[in-house]
Amino acid sequence: MRVLGKISLKTTVMTIYVLGVLGSIVLVFSLISVKFIGVPNIVNVLRQSVPALLVGTSVTLLMISGNIDLSVGGIVGLSSVIYAICLKAGIGYLWAAILTLLLGLTIGLINGLLVVKMRIVPVIATLATMSLSIGLGKLLSPDGIGLIKGLPEDVIKFARTGFLLKLPIAFYVTVIVVGMLVVIQKKTVLGKYSAAIGGNKVAAELSGINTKLIIWILYAIVGLFSSLGGIARASLLSLGDPTTGTGMEMDAMIAVVLGGTSYTGGEGSVLRTTVGVLILTCLTAGMQVIGIAPYWQSLVKGMVLIFAVTINSLVKEKIIE
Amino acid sequence: MQMKVDSCKPAESKISNLTFINLSMLGVLAVVFVAASLIVPRFFDINNISNLIAQQAEIIILGIGVTFLLITGHFDMSVGGIVSLGAVVSAYLCQAKTAGASDLASGLGMGYGKAIIITLLCCMLIGVINAFFIVKVKVNSVVVTLGTMAFSRGVAMIIAKGAQRITGLPPEYKQIGQYTVIGTINIAVIIMIFLLIIALIVENKTAFGRRIYLIGANQVAAKLSGIKVEREISLLYITSAFLAGVAGIVMASRFNAGNCTLGTGYEFDALVITVLGGTSIAGGFGSVVCAVVGAFILGILSTSVNMLGFQPAMQMLVKGFVIIAAILAQRFALDKRKV
Repeated sequence: MRVLGKISLKTTVMTIYVLGVLGSIVLVFSLISVKFIGVPNIVNVLRQSVPALLVGTSVTLLMISGNIDLSVGGIVGLSSVIYAICLKAGIGYLWAAILTLLLGLTIGLINGLLVVKMRIVPVIATLATMSLSIGLGKLLSPDGIGLIKGLPEDVIKFARTGFLLKLPIAFYVTVIVVGMLVVIQKKTVLGKYSAAIGGNKVAAELSGINTKLIIWILYAIVGLFSSLGGIARASLLSLGDPTTGTGMEMDAMIAVVLGGTSYTGGEGSVLRTTVGVLILTCLTAGMQVIGIAPYWQSLVKGMVLIFAVTINSLVKEKIIE
Repeated sequence: MQMKVDSCKPAESKISNLTFINLSMLGVLAVVFVAASLIVPRFFDINNISNLIAQQAEIIILGIGVTFLLITGHFDMSVGGIVSLGAVVSAYLCQAKTAGASDLASGLGMGYGKAIIITLLCCMLIGVINAFFIVKVKVNSVVVTLGTMAFSRGVAMIIAKGAQRITGLPPEYKQIGQYTVIGTINIAVIIMIFLLIIALIVENKTAFGRRIYLIGANQVAAKLSGIKVEREISLLYITSAFLAGVAGIVMASRFNAGNCTLGTGYEFDALVITVLGGTSIAGGFGSVVCAVVGAFILGILSTSVNMLGFQPAMQMLVKGFVIIAAILAQRFALDKRKV
């Protein structure tokens, strides 16, 4: 019981901390430039967060089980290419989306196959699928420029044009998906088992959990929602670009770690990851608004990741141990 | 795990698992080489082959550090960022001081030797940061080194303003990468061979080398038997950062420009070649030889794909498939041996 109390204390501390970080970032940027809290910028931030939210939240579930997926950026890129190709072929939005989601699901299942059945370490297995999906995306897009342009004009209606309160449909879809993932994590067997596997894989197996199946499902979920992120990206930018997801694996990891999810697995929170994603997008957008050159981004991201990791292990040490 | 136990086994297996994997991967390399020579026109050509060797210099140099760390069971993903840091800082330090020129065209005007030393010190500082977080704060090595990768590339991007430093470089800046000794064998290749020899000696003939394997095989046992695990791992991270810095200087010299995008994806490539050659991710098993063999297998495949007229993107597909195939084949071979 005492341990449980400590864990819930940790949860409270992490929630306050992550919201505090987001709040202070918003405050600082708003003080520097009023434009930052203007409606256009807020809409822009939320719109841009859609792919990262989809990827980040599903990766959280996977990381709670102690696994890692580096292929998400590749899946986002390949999905944007496939979606664009399908649209140009004129098969309609619904079928294009279904085909793309099926493809994402397949890559997720392949990741699961490599990790679970072939027992390849997640880092290496998903590194291979990352290489495969970016390579495939590049092969499918026109040689030279590598971008698929000239999509139908309506494509932006999903993730760019305002639908309700100036926010696009994709944003509301994301809210539903995130809500679903939160319920999965907190209320379902899948979420509980995921935490059990991350906490102690052998113990989980011995207590009768089908760890292989669970991990496989988690990889499939990540693949599916990453490709939904790719569709949103293609719709937002109105183009198919195999490299559009470059670095998303890193962003997802930063958001997850910022949200206090343990990178060795066992505990974490999908909801806090959403705050982590918003912190990252606010940082990037804020730097843009106050006119800092984009080449500062990499440094800032690196420092945020190192900072988040340190806070994480300090909180863990101080409260749990 | 298996490495030293095997040498105690007398009759039935005369060679250790490591030697076995090394020999098999050398065999694969030979097969790939012969196949490429037969299938790809103009592949078996002295210029092409010496080119191939020269192209692998940078990845092998930084592969040495990554291999040693993998043997201890630790990852170093920061090498890609350190390559760009080394490239840009070395350019910035020795660019001529020109009053009135734009920021990017004017540097600190140091001598080349001094510039190299300071650059390598900067790179080693990143290694110190890695070591601090992994050994003292005890955080996961993949996550933290991804952070320092972004950090060091970030510093490089700021110094080069997201582009490159190219004007006003002294003439000796391009010598390492461009001055050729025989054919296309340049100074970089000689540096690579020199570093490889040192690495092989460290790996096989020194107590430090043996300690690395023990740490990887069982960190707790290593600690209990009196090895200063934390010190050794810190040392390895600093070495790895140093080698990545060397690779960065070499690469910048080859292009004669301090470009901040140099080394993009090298953290993954370094991992790919070491694993391809047979080093185990789980630690305790592997060799610098593995990295060299892996680099050449991948190099030959990429060159062949290119020379056969496929799109460059095909290389990424090849990379993906080869790595999965290699790991499965190695596991299969080792499993067979145990029976």
